[in-house]
Amino acid sequence: MEEARKGVLGHLNMLEMEANNLELKKQELRQRGRQEELNANLQALLSKRDQLKAEIKANTSLQKMRTLLDRTGFPYERNEDVDNLEDGSDNSQLLLMMARHTQLKDLLHAHHLIGGYDVLQTRKGKGVCVSLATAYEGVYLETYNLEIDLGSDLRIYRHNIPPFIPLERLVTQGNMQTDIKDFLDTLSQYLNAYAGRKQQLHLTKEIHSSVQVVESNALCTILVLMFTIPGEKAEATLCTLQYADHTQRLPTRVNIESEDTALVSSPQWKKNKALLLETPLHTALVTMKKTGSIA
Amino acid sequence: MDDSTKHILQRLMRRIPSQMLQTMLGKWAHLSREDLHSLDFTQPKWVLTEHLLALCEENGLRVKHITELEMIYIIENPNQGMWHGFQLLDAEEDAPSIELTQFKEQFKANLTELISHVSIKIKKHTDEAIWIRVAWGDNFTKPYHLKPTYVVHHLQTPYVFVTGLTSKYKPLLNQALVLATRYGSMKDAHLSGRNLTAIRDLLMRQYQQVFPTKNPKPLQEKNPVPRNPNIEKEQAENTENRLQMACEAFGDGTLPQLQKAVYKLETKFRDNSNKTLTGREEPFRGVVEFASTNLLESLRHCVSSGMASTPVTPLLSSITQKGRNYFVITDKGV
Repeated sequence: MEEARKGVLGHLNMLEMEANNLELKKQELRQRGRQEELNANLQALLSKRDQLKAEIKANTSLQKMRTLLDRTGFPYERNEDVDNLEDGSDNSQLLLMMARHTQLKDLLHAHHLIGGYDVLQTRKGKGVCVSLATAYEGVYLETYNLEIDLGSDLRIYRHNIPPFIPLERLVTQGNMQTDIKDFLDTLSQYLNAYAGRKQQLHLTKEIHSSVQVVESNALCTILVLMFTIPGEKAEATLCTLQYADHTQRLPTRVNIESEDTALVSSPQWKKNKALLLETPLHTALVTMKKTGSIA
Repeated sequence: MDDSTKHILQRLMRRIPSQMLQTMLGKWAHLSREDLHSLDFTQPKWVLTEHLLALCEENGLRVKHITELEMIYIIENPNQGMWHGFQLLDAEEDAPSIELTQFKEQFKANLTELISHVSIKIKKHTDEAIWIRVAWGDNFTKPYHLKPTYVVHHLQTPYVFVTGLTSKYKPLLNQALVLATRYGSMKDAHLSGRNLTAIRDLLMRQYQQVFPTKNPKPLQEKNPVPRNPNIEKEQAENTENRLQMACEAFGDGTLPQLQKAVYKLETKFRDNSNKTLTGREEPFRGVVEFASTNLLESLRHCVSSGMASTPVTPLLSSITQKGRNYFVITDKGV
């Protein structure tokens, strides 16, 4: 019986010892696991800290470069300070590029805010979209867009510029390939002038309903108006405005015809003719109404 | 009024639908007010036609007045018949400063020089479009008014839209137009359709185009399909991208109504499993035609709903970008 008990007890002891061992091993494993986990965490955090430190460093040098560039004024001119900062290594070259990039972006944003054109990168850097805003007398009018492909040659592949603006002529004359700023400036001039003339016509039609528009054309370069002269005779007077310069909002020639020939040569109408040449149409008509020249 | 004139008037009356008759005659302004009031528009059309014929006889109206009525009707309802677009090329120096009277005189002079018996009517519509009606005759016969050609042109743009032109008179019209507008030549723009406003809007880009912007306002699908909110949440970004690409390729809002797009293939046959057709030297000639009541709208929907793959293939987006609906595809490209 005792031997049997020893056997059983011994067995139980053995089992207990094994259980304890297992417990210990498990605890150790857990600790080790926890330790490894903490280690891994530590490594991750350390590398993140290093990354952030590097970013801060890059940003501060970028800021320094940027302030230097801003001080020189032009992003294209080389400056001694800038040259000194450049020690020829790839790092500083890259930094210079990045600084110029941010400067250009800020310049474009400012340009966009004052109503100039805006450039956006499209197709993962293979194209740009230029948006030209038009405005007249403080009111924003249409925005026109050009999508340009940045291949070896610049090529416009899509745009919503109306067909009576001579886009192809401006592309060749303005040397879009070499001097895109010049081309965009001229195009913006044409578009703004067209928008201005269109707006003048629109306002005239809205405000001055007594003035009849006999003829107009899509480009708003030829306008024939019919005035009614107050008085018993109430004869028709035709006024022809020609805008030969498509980049201007004021007419280049004003011609007045009337059945009453004396009217045309009267000093009042000579003044009106000069007025039409110098002030925008709708304001000129207001003045003419006030002086009683037209109804 | 001789028989041919009566015939023209009768044909015209048959063509104009009854609801529009009163307004058309009012706009025509060749009948006095009492005459117009005396016409009873509730009567059947043939009775009305007889009455109108009598009135015209009384007022001594001639062919040129009748053709004016036809022109008014066509200008108000231009979306019938087949319109073809043409493009003028090689502008000369003074092309941008052509004005209406100059163009009218030049065109009339040129065309009458080329063919002596021709009847030309030019009218300027309120939206700055010039409408020209030409009835062609021979050197020996009077102009035939039952098959006139209509031409629409906007000054200072290089586009011309023509309907009802036979190939016999095409070179004459071309030459007259080219000389009058001070361009070098005129070529086929490969764009045709029944709807004049549609092809005009497409060529002159008067529909709402979409460009990439910094602050895109979210484009809304006009007819959303029945929605499952879970799927929508997962697919939100993809849907937005597809919609943006579809609108960039085809436009936003109401699109010009094109009916057909034709792709003529002249490429070599490539599928190797077909024994009879592979390996031939000549190109495989085939024609693919897309037809719909509003083709651009359906293509845009295909792209935005994912049926057509994005980015939009240039074969489809060329319809809007180049403004044509007839393409010949060779191995070298479109």
